[in-house]
Amino acid sequence: MAAMPARWDLEVDVVSIGSGLGGLSAAIVAHDQGASAAVLEKAGKLGGLSGFGGGEVFVPANEPMLALGLEDTKEEGRQYYEFIGAGFQSQPHQEKLLATMHEAVGYFGEKAGVRWKACQGLPDYYYPRAPGSKASGRYLSVDLFDAKTLGEWQQKTWLTPIMPPGALHEEMYAWGGLAKVTTWDYELLGKRIAEDLRTFGPGMMGYFVKAAVIDRKIPAFTETPVRQLIADENGRVVGVRAEREGKDFFVRAKKGVILAVGGYDHNKELACMYEEFPDWNGVFPAYLDGDHMVLGPELGAAIASVPPTNLALFYGYQIPGEEVEGRPFWRSSWEGGCPHAIWVNKNGERFCDESFYKEYQPEIRKWDGKRQEQPNTDIHLIFDGNYRERYPLGSFMPGQELPEGMVVVADTPRELAQRLEIDPDRFENTLERFNANAEKGEDPDFGRGSWPWAIRLVGDQDYPNPLLGPLSKPPYHAVRLRPVSVGINSHGLKWNLDAQVLHVRGNPIPGLYAVGNSAALVDLGGGYQSGTSNSRAITWGYVAGRHAAAQA
Amino acid sequence: MPEAEYSTTAQLPVPVIWEFVREMDNWAHFLRGYQSHEKQSDTDSVWVLKGDVGMVARTVKFQVHIDEWGEPSLVRFSLKGLNEPMQGGGEFRLESHEGGSAAAEEPVKLGWFARFVRWLYQLFAGKTERATPTAATPGAAVTRLRFQLRVQPGGPMGPMVDALMKPLMLPVAEELADRIMAELERRHGQKP
Repeated sequence: MAAMPARWDLEVDVVSIGSGLGGLSAAIVAHDQGASAAVLEKAGKLGGLSGFGGGEVFVPANEPMLALGLEDTKEEGRQYYEFIGAGFQSQPHQEKLLATMHEAVGYFGEKAGVRWKACQGLPDYYYPRAPGSKASGRYLSVDLFDAKTLGEWQQKTWLTPIMPPGALHEEMYAWGGLAKVTTWDYELLGKRIAEDLRTFGPGMMGYFVKAAVIDRKIPAFTETPVRQLIADENGRVVGVRAEREGKDFFVRAKKGVILAVGGYDHNKELACMYEEFPDWNGVFPAYLDGDHMVLGPELGAAIASVPPTNLALFYGYQIPGEEVEGRPFWRSSWEGGCPHAIWVNKNGERFCDESFYKEYQPEIRKWDGKRQEQPNTDIHLIFDGNYRERYPLGSFMPGQELPEGMVVVADTPRELAQRLEIDPDRFENTLERFNANAEKGEDPDFGRGSWPWAIRLVGDQDYPNPLLGPLSKPPYHAVRLRPVSVGINSHGLKWNLDAQVLHVRGNPIPGLYAVGNSAALVDLGGGYQSGTSNSRAITWGYVAGRHAAAQA
Repeated sequence: MPEAEYSTTAQLPVPVIWEFVREMDNWAHFLRGYQSHEKQSDTDSVWVLKGDVGMVARTVKFQVHIDEWGEPSLVRFSLKGLNEPMQGGGEFRLESHEGGSAAAEEPVKLGWFARFVRWLYQLFAGKTERATPTAATPGAAVTRLRFQLRVQPGGPMGPMVDALMKPLMLPVAEELADRIMAELERRHGQKP
């Protein structure tokens, strides 16, 4: 803990550490409640992980979906969240999340000008099997955001390399999803890019940044990492010691400090310890390095966890020479779910439904106790000539030369297996069995094609089973895949229903809050659904901002 | 098609600048994102550059062909992406002016968007290598270097990549031309 400074460089009521959805939600609400607020951001841009993602906000029975005539109830939403929690959730946290999220999302629509839209046509992950699941409308996203309204912040807000710039969710699905990316309306996207009309995470965070720093003039400081929290003699957090231009920058927070720095994907030590992987790679920028797991515990904050088994872990690859923010960029891979593609492990065998990550995620963590290894952590995406003619690989379109060193190519499956040092007999058997069933549109081994969410995202509707097609046309290709995370971690700070961080003794630490992915996912429990990360960030940011602003 | 044109002047005679520009080894490393180049013949070379397309930096390999070698004042070239669907071209053009006249000329007129992009670039990239050329000494040789570059992305994503690249073109052209002239001035004692 830092000593009380002789003077403060800035004095406000509430300080948000981190400028993602949780941090900005808290700052906006605190400001609207009459408190002064400031935002400290470690990166050179505002928006955090939320600005780098898909910008989906999962809210059952949301107003835009009901306005479209889509049927849903809050009770069905509760059933679905309970299914996701699988008994690992904190019931009071989940109940308050569900009881508050509509109010919070509605608040930012009304007071912050966020133009929410319901994504039509995108099912819940577990539709139709989970109780309370729905086929369409629960994901909120934003309408086009005009980034020119951000003024000086236009160039200091995150864009994302993982979503097509300028496209809306419903357009992406209407154009045929990722499998049909060659026929999307790029003229339209080009026009929107030229006008800097943003969508997905960058669009959503555009609205929140504008509401905070432009409309409310909340001061925001980029490249200002917080090094320590400052507490008074009673243990109340009263400010922070940040670093700005190489010097200490002391900020007093008279009512509260909001920890909203995301997870710890890029802290190898924490990730290895908590996610139980010897190697951990993240899709998102390097700023997600677990500051909250140091700042909080330094004052006695407790750590809480949910099982890591079924959160949000994917397979990914790197394209040689491709970088984001000066670092090699991990792309999460969806290609294995398309027709004419499969994954095989080092045994030359399929091991999952490649199209549905909720199904394959636990398989990534599988442990072979006899061989003392994880057989599914180092695998290969396999595809044939049919795939290359139809679908892209990352941003490489059909027919476009693939980078040297990324892809192994062979004329026959046997030759490919030999090059990959995989048992060729077993690999050929795997392909023969998959192909024979794929010709019939079936996958009796793993049920590929049975999840509407996966079909919507990567399916090719030209096929009887949109996710299945045989690998029968040379040449055969292989790309090495490794597990990659998207910032949804199993451990975080322990917190109460006011979003206050809890001490290891169980009492709240006065003046300290945690929201977003810095707060352990105890309100979700044993599973994850896309968009819940954002809905909980908004909701608990809203709760924390109000609570902090109300402090004496 | 994303394109940019930039011109700048130096108080040096055309032959001096030509001697420098004609040999690509002299200035290749001034090109933003330069990784390597390889001369294949008098007219052909392969260049490897790292450039931004939106958020992502990609390594792009270009085949460059000299279409016109107008010694001592013009090099016109065409380029073709070897690993990305792109093509384009450009030119270096040297123009001699009477002492003092070039610096007094109207600068190349830029649209509001180009000026805005240049301002942003200078703001965020901290580009301050070469200020506006100083007024020429009366009677001294003054040469204007014009650099023009155009790149047309192809493939289904072409219109999108086009929009992502457009804001980057002018800074690339400006940076290369300015760096060349700054190096020449340094070599010939025009500036420290």
